[in-house]
Amino acid sequence: AGLSQWFPALELLDVSGTGLTEMGTELLSLPCLHTLLAKNNRLGGPGSLPKGLGQAPLARSLRVLNLSGNRFSEVPPALLQLRGLRSLSLGGNRLQGIPPDIQELHSLEFLYLGGNFITAIPPELAKLPSLRYLVLCDNKIQSIPPQLAQLHSLRSLSLHNNLLTYLPREILNLVHLDELSLRGNPLVVRFVRDLTYNPPSLQELAGRTVKTRNIPYTPSDLPESLVRYLSLASNCPNPKCGGVYFDSCVRQIKFVDFCGKYRLPLMHYLCSPECSSPFSSASQSSTSQSESDSEDEASVAAHRMQKVLLG
Amino acid sequence: MEQPVQTETWKARSLEELVRILHQIFAEDKVSVEEVQALMESYESNPEEWLQYAKFDQYTRNLVDNGNGKFNLMILCWGEGHGSSIHDHTDSHCFMKILQGNLKETLFEWPEKKGNGEMTKKSERVLRENQCAYINDSIGLHRVENISHTEPAVSLHLYSPPFNSCNTFDQRTGHKHKVTMTFYSQFGERTVC
Repeated sequence: AGLSQWFPALELLDVSGTGLTEMGTELLSLPCLHTLLAKNNRLGGPGSLPKGLGQAPLARSLRVLNLSGNRFSEVPPALLQLRGLRSLSLGGNRLQGIPPDIQELHSLEFLYLGGNFITAIPPELAKLPSLRYLVLCDNKIQSIPPQLAQLHSLRSLSLHNNLLTYLPREILNLVHLDELSLRGNPLVVRFVRDLTYNPPSLQELAGRTVKTRNIPYTPSDLPESLVRYLSLASNCPNPKCGGVYFDSCVRQIKFVDFCGKYRLPLMHYLCSPECSSPFSSASQSSTSQSESDSEDEASVAAHRMQKVLLG
Repeated sequence: MEQPVQTETWKARSLEELVRILHQIFAEDKVSVEEVQALMESYESNPEEWLQYAKFDQYTRNLVDNGNGKFNLMILCWGEGHGSSIHDHTDSHCFMKILQGNLKETLFEWPEKKGNGEMTKKSERVLRENQCAYINDSIGLHRVENISHTEPAVSLHLYSPPFNSCNTFDQRTGHKHKVTMTFYSQFGERTVC
């Protein structure tokens, strides 16, 4: 029976600020519930969400769920079964992380996770194709995975008040971004070179040679572990280099300069200290077409991002 | 604005009355900052009167009245976690009254001429419902933020003379950048850009 017996047409239910410690099975039968607001309650313990949520009519109809101001220390797994969810807020809870299975919420457009204790972002978050607003402010995030640049629909990214020292250069690929907040992060302001470059191992050097010289091999030629190792080669981002690396790389922070007004530290991965970054300064001696092309790309992207940051 | 000989103590019993009294005050040659601030504070926020102007879409500026060219009165909606850049007020007077929720105001010193260091914070405070803050360029610069992760905020702003561009400042370097502001809606109607 449940609530649908009395309110079969209910579309919006607001139980915010009512001291709830759990939401019961009476909600499950509501076939038209579109919006559920349960802010500022005492939800977060086991049984906060009703059993059988994933199979209920509610799971298909719900579009907006607001659980901000509660006591969740993890995203409850049952929540990830709400396949039609477009907007989710878990602001002001006690979340320590984001589960990779967040990618199950493939209709999600708005995700608010500000004001928690999140330390890292799983790359799986980037698999949400419709995500337009992502709020991660007031957390403890130290780095952004470069995969986040795959969020093609992203309009707004809120990262203020975290522990970021740099950003991945891929962030410049977010062409639809209107809003990006970065204040209150310890972003590095001076050029920082990774001084603890560990020279590549013999295995790595051999692997690089196999890959760059296209030395043919079959699974029967090598132990399975080495076949797997060879499949993990990453391409050096320098388009002129064409090299690969496995574990040994140089992390280099380059600053994209927005006409001298705002400098954003972006992290580049290079295969060796001798390899030059695609975003080298204009004072480089050799200026082939591809190098100046990538410089142009960088300054166009920088110009666009300047408007976003300072607008 | 200078202090007139006698300061009226107004009580605005509705938003409409507030606008009417503002027109009256600004029709005079001399307007007192204290008088306007007291008037704005005296209005007890009633959402029924302003909900038509409060268009929620993250962060919006909604024009309520254009004061016969003497001032602009607008309603700003702040989504959870939303904040403004550090900005100046283009030599105008700025009054900000909270209609719903809370807003944190952080005051900053003007950066040095050839500034290349972190800007200096002067003070910060959280403004509660119905409180009205005042700022102008001689007082300093400020950042306004809704620091709540659960409640949106709504504020009523009066700017005199009206202006549509100002400078935003990078907190880390003091560098400034001119921006033009637009209205999301005017007189309750969505503005098509």
